[in-house]
Amino acid sequence: MINGKRNQKINGNQKEESNNKNKNDYVIRCQDINLWYDDNHALKDINMNIINNKITAIIGPSGCGKSTLIRVFNRMNDVIEGCRIKGDVIFDGKNIYGKNVDVRAVRSRIGMIFQKPNPFPMSVRDNITYGPRVHGLYDPKILDEIVEDCLKKAALWEEVKDRLKDSAIGLSGGQQQRLCIARALSIEPEVLLMDEPTSSLDPIATAKIEELCQELKKKYTVIIVTHNMQQAARISDYTGFMYLGEMIEFGRTEQIFENPHEELTENYITGRFG
Amino acid sequence: MAKEMRKEIIELKEDVLKMAGLASNMLNDAVNALINTDIDLAESVKGNKEKLRKFDYEIEARALKTLTLYQPMAIDLRRIAAILKIITYLYRIGRYGKDIASVVKELTDTFTYSETTGIKHMWEHVSSLIEDAIESFDKAEITKIADFEERDDEVDQMRWSIFRETVSHMLEKPTHITHSAHFIMISRYLERCGDHACKIAEKVHYMVTGEHVEIS
Ligand SMILES: Nc1ncnc2c1ncn2[C@@H]1O[C@H](COP(=O)(O)OP(=O)(O)OP(=O)(O)O)[C@@H](O)[C@H]1O
Ligand SMILES: [Mg+2]
Repeated sequence: MINGKRNQKINGNQKEESNNKNKNDYVIRCQDINLWYDDNHALKDINMNIINNKITAIIGPSGCGKSTLIRVFNRMNDVIEGCRIKGDVIFDGKNIYGKNVDVRAVRSRIGMIFQKPNPFPMSVRDNITYGPRVHGLYDPKILDEIVEDCLKKAALWEEVKDRLKDSAIGLSGGQQQRLCIARALSIEPEVLLMDEPTSSLDPIATAKIEELCQELKKKYTVIIVTHNMQQAARISDYTGFMYLGEMIEFGRTEQIFENPHEELTENYITGRFG
Repeated sequence: MAKEMRKEIIELKEDVLKMAGLASNMLNDAVNALINTDIDLAESVKGNKEKLRKFDYEIEARALKTLTLYQPMAIDLRRIAAILKIITYLYRIGRYGKDIASVVKELTDTFTYSETTGIKHMWEHVSSLIEDAIESFDKAEITKIADFEERDDEVDQMRWSIFRETVSHMLEKPTHITHSAHFIMISRYLERCGDHACKIAEKVHYMVTGEHVEIS
């Protein structure tokens, strides 16, 4: 007989993974997340765990709720009027939606990079020292160290070390995006959320960001939203596929792209959608 | 993009089916040429060698091009991955046909009925394995390959029984040693073709289910 049967179907809510992972391996755990923008039910019963020091990619068609989901992780939706959320997001053992949570503290531990690079209209150096200064750090020597360290981690140091005083706006798009990553790193986050960080970049700048992600995951946990499936396949360890506000399938990236269990996932990644 | 890729994959699949037709014809014609001592037929099998090789490298080039152009995923990816391996197995099957055809000339006068019946019987088994493997690929369906392991075992047993029979024949008639040795070789080639059919079945299984299996 031929051995091996097709794996039992699992749904997006990560039953398989949770069986053989230690709870400590999860940096973020989502429990029954539901989110509404007024009466638009944008996230439906999301249960997923983000694994430490890995890259997790979120894919899915436009409007399925990817950006909404990663904004949940650092309470970025709070500022949106009409937005309501139910469920728990456990980060470092605590529900970030619980009582008496310092939202600023959460955001400083879970940084975010946006689709369009958004450097502050100030010098390269000030972009990076801004966060530490807000947190009360003024010693120029320490700030210099932070600037060099973060720019190196963001693989930008060599390109800008002689123009630290120049305006960040004069950098190329790819450099600006890496500066934003360096800025996010300056406040020593544990998790980096990236919402389509390369969609406005050329292939070379994109490749740099992708390489950077591989470097970053040694120290940080990265969650990246991308429309580029090849990118998700290339750089991530885990992939979640969302559709109409639901997490349809979540699993190891190879499995999702080589042998998805859900028909919807299969249809989406093979371009047979709609 | 997705549409063009699918068209490309369908055409690739059709090419594989054509190649499969050629490879199994080469094997079938070779065995028929042997059984009927048909030298012309044997020569025509040898003449197909280049055509077979051309299929092999053209399909490979086309499959690689499809991979780079479209970066297919899931079933599309698995289909192309399967094709890249299957053409190698088909190529080998066709080549064994050619190898068998090459010895037909030397076997025209001396062999006996019982030897060819053993070969013929074995060939019928092997060629039905090949046919079922190809059909499963064509239909992306794995029911027909479910019993391949048992069927391949039978082929192995046939090979050993031909071996034993032929060895005792050699002992009886040392003058027939060269031609008996050819028969042992031919049964070995057929057994290899059966193995390649199993390899094709493994790839079809992967293509359809996404899971790797080992047959025999
Ligand atoms: N600030 C907002 N106010 C009201 N509705 C919103 C807001 N942001 C998103 N939505 C709605 O929530 C749903 C999910 O949107 P979201 O931006 O999370 O999708 P997405 O998967 O990131 O899409 P895209 O790939 O286009 O970026 C959509 O129906 C969208 O219209
Ligand atoms: Mg978005």
